[in-house]
Amino acid sequence: MAKSLLIISRQSPWSGPGAREALDIVLAGGAFDLPIGLLFLDDGVLQLAAGQNARALQQKDLSANLQALPMFGVEELFYCVDSASARGLGDRSLDEAQPLAAAQITALIDRYDQVITL
Amino acid sequence: MAAVLLIESAMKFAIAVFSAAHAPSSRRALLFAQAALAGGHEIVRLFFYQDGVYNASDAVVTPQDETDLPKQWRTFITEQNLDGVVCIAAALRRGVLNTEEAGRYQRDAVAVSAPWELSGLGQLHDAVQDADRLICFGGA
Amino acid sequence: MSTLHVLSHSPFGDERLTSCLRLLGTADALLLCGDAAYALQPGTAPFNALENRQVKLFVLAEDAQARALQVPDWAEAIDYAAFVELSIHHDKVNTWL
Repeated sequence: MAKSLLIISRQSPWSGPGAREALDIVLAGGAFDLPIGLLFLDDGVLQLAAGQNARALQQKDLSANLQALPMFGVEELFYCVDSASARGLGDRSLDEAQPLAAAQITALIDRYDQVITL
Repeated sequence: MAAVLLIESAMKFAIAVFSAAHAPSSRRALLFAQAALAGGHEIVRLFFYQDGVYNASDAVVTPQDETDLPKQWRTFITEQNLDGVVCIAAALRRGVLNTEEAGRYQRDAVAVSAPWELSGLGQLHDAVQDADRLICFGGA
Repeated sequence: MSTLHVLSHSPFGDERLTSCLRLLGTADALLLCGDAAYALQPGTAPFNALENRQVKLFVLAEDAQARALQVPDWAEAIDYAAFVELSIHHDKVNTWL
């Protein structure tokens, strides 16, 4: 059985290539049909803010890539509710992402074989 | 008997490095890798991602009285005959090219050569599947 | 199941330690290396948080030594060989990059 991998994405979408490079690991895993999960934590939850405008910074649209995750076979999507409320995150894109409290995140990490937090 | 025990407890490690050669975490990655082999364990692959690609750069010049980490990696990988894979997308973005990629994108600067190999993120996933443990080094 | 969490950023002005302590499971352990070792500076908020939490705590000996930090009796200083063993003893290692 394939080993499962949880990616914990902690970078805001506009702080450099960090958020995109975290997502690239997820997409590559999805392309190989591997069991892969993605959790947005700390500033990473800001990737989920609705109505972002990548063109204002002449960047590629990360949210569009996030929306495509379920199509790439990545359906295990989560975000930390504490991080979201601490950052006043209101309307969110990516409806598929499930809110998790701290204890649920501990259980989530336990459930995966390996984890990368970046 | 001791040898048997050693074999039974041997683990397979995948080691991923996310920080530049001058970051303390990259030195830590090398020392961990050396300790893993010294402990009788196996390293299935060293994977260099994000700023970790700079560890593979021949273009790094370290002052003589400082630790030359790219050189130490090269020696370690060569002597131990390890698989040192640099993420190609991360390397292109940071100007760490091998001859093939420099040719493809018409660049003069070639910074990576054997024993390093440029390849895709699939090699990271592949290593995770092969290994008992994935250990990441990066940040500070 | 247990996770070895590894921190390397200074706990001052960075939220990794706080987030990590929030998610730490009862069987988990924490290894401080690099500037994360500054969490062992007595009388500081990170030091008190770690002491009160009674987490299974390790610090890379070279990092404590380099920074002139005393290792309290509720933490254990380890070398790289022990770091390798610790990573095997736990089911996975979560480095906060």
